[in-house]
Amino acid sequence: MARLTRTKKKPVQKKRQLIADVNRRSPITEQYRTIRTNIEYSAVDTEIKSLLVTSAGPGEGKSTTASNLAVVIAQNGQTVLLIDADMRKPTAHYTFGLMNNRGLTNVLTRQQKQDDVIQETNVENVSLLTCGPIPPNPAELLNSKMMELVLQEAREKYDMVILDTPPVMAVADAQILANKVDGTIIVTSSGKTDREQLQKTKENLVKANAHLLGVVLNNKPVDDTTYYYYK
Amino acid sequence: MEETISLKEIFQTLKQRWRLLVAIPFFAMLVSAIISSFVLTPMYERSTQLLVNQAVPEGQLNQQVVRNNLELIDTYSEIIKSPRILNEVIEAEGLDMTYGDLEAAVSVGSQSNSQVVTITVESESPTEATLLTNSIATVFQEQIPDIMSIDNVSILSEAEIGEDPTPVSPKPLLNIAIAFVVGLMAAVGLAFLLEYLDTTIKTEKDIENIIDLPVLGAVSNMDSVDAAAKKTS
Repeated sequence: MARLTRTKKKPVQKKRQLIADVNRRSPITEQYRTIRTNIEYSAVDTEIKSLLVTSAGPGEGKSTTASNLAVVIAQNGQTVLLIDADMRKPTAHYTFGLMNNRGLTNVLTRQQKQDDVIQETNVENVSLLTCGPIPPNPAELLNSKMMELVLQEAREKYDMVILDTPPVMAVADAQILANKVDGTIIVTSSGKTDREQLQKTKENLVKANAHLLGVVLNNKPVDDTTYYYYK
Repeated sequence: MEETISLKEIFQTLKQRWRLLVAIPFFAMLVSAIISSFVLTPMYERSTQLLVNQAVPEGQLNQQVVRNNLELIDTYSEIIKSPRILNEVIEAEGLDMTYGDLEAAVSVGSQSNSQVVTITVESESPTEATLLTNSIATVFQEQIPDIMSIDNVSILSEAEIGEDPTPVSPKPLLNIAIAFVVGLMAAVGLAFLLEYLDTTIKTEKDIENIIDLPVLGAVSNMDSVDAAAKKTS
């Protein structure tokens, strides 16, 4: 198993990460809404009730995309459960300012009931299942029968389940989860995601029978024309 | 992959790396300024002019004579730089240099169709340059009858040390200007090289080309959104 080393980033302010909740009129929030709409339309025959968010490498904006998507979907009146399945570097509890002493790992190891560890967030209709204590064997846990049960139960209770996962090029976690969900989104970052890595990421996910919905491009360079309506 | 290069793209590439385009020429200019002022020793130049002209008996200038003289000038230029003359000069002035050193410092030139030959010597001191030039001119004038068996060289003007001599090289301003141009070219080249070596995705179009998946949406860089919002509001 490749050990994942990530560069330390300066802590992002909460308000920055959850822009969809903090600033509903921001053009960025609007861009997340567009993504939400496109996800709805990308499901032709099947209803998409669970989403997996991943990327090729670290630091391309998976967690930011996952949490903001959760917020804009909730703003549409749907109940959303965000599951932090990134057991290598869990961040969702920071984003929503919650504790992470119990979470998904406790449920997967059958120490806790799912309902007991799911937390309500400050955002209406958004619930969070944090990662919990970091386990030594994330891939095995995510590949377990229990994980499928967790997802099944979540699907029944919530309108939408969103999974934040580690990068595909580093570990197999995302591929393991990819065929357990209805749709997978690849997050890329302009000027950061490598072309070849992106290609491999797609190939790996296709091999894992993922239902690829599409790609989100983060960090897109801005041209001033976008701000016509934004005063 | 077929690529069309548009002016807009070129401009975009340069705009993206404007720091490079400023930093490299600036650094080159700085280095060149430092080297010009502190490292290189200033060199001085002095020159003497010789006239190659035969005394014509009847006191009239003959076309043929002038042409002969002109044809001699190239030969004279070679002779001036020959060991025979220069070694004589070294001996006469008791100089502490080899023939090679002196030969490198001397340049001989003449305007086309003119009977005037200019001897120029470059040296680290104006005094030495003056001394050498004059010495070469004198020795040459003395030796010519021996070598060519005609006496048709006269000294037209002697070199002078002069007041407050200014060095001919290095020319700091010129060097800085050259450094700027070279630095700018290097920076532009580097900018395009970096652009070419950059294998990251940039736009939605890149993504569609590479993995043929729909782009669900793009999220702008938050900092630049803030900046743009400040600009427009």
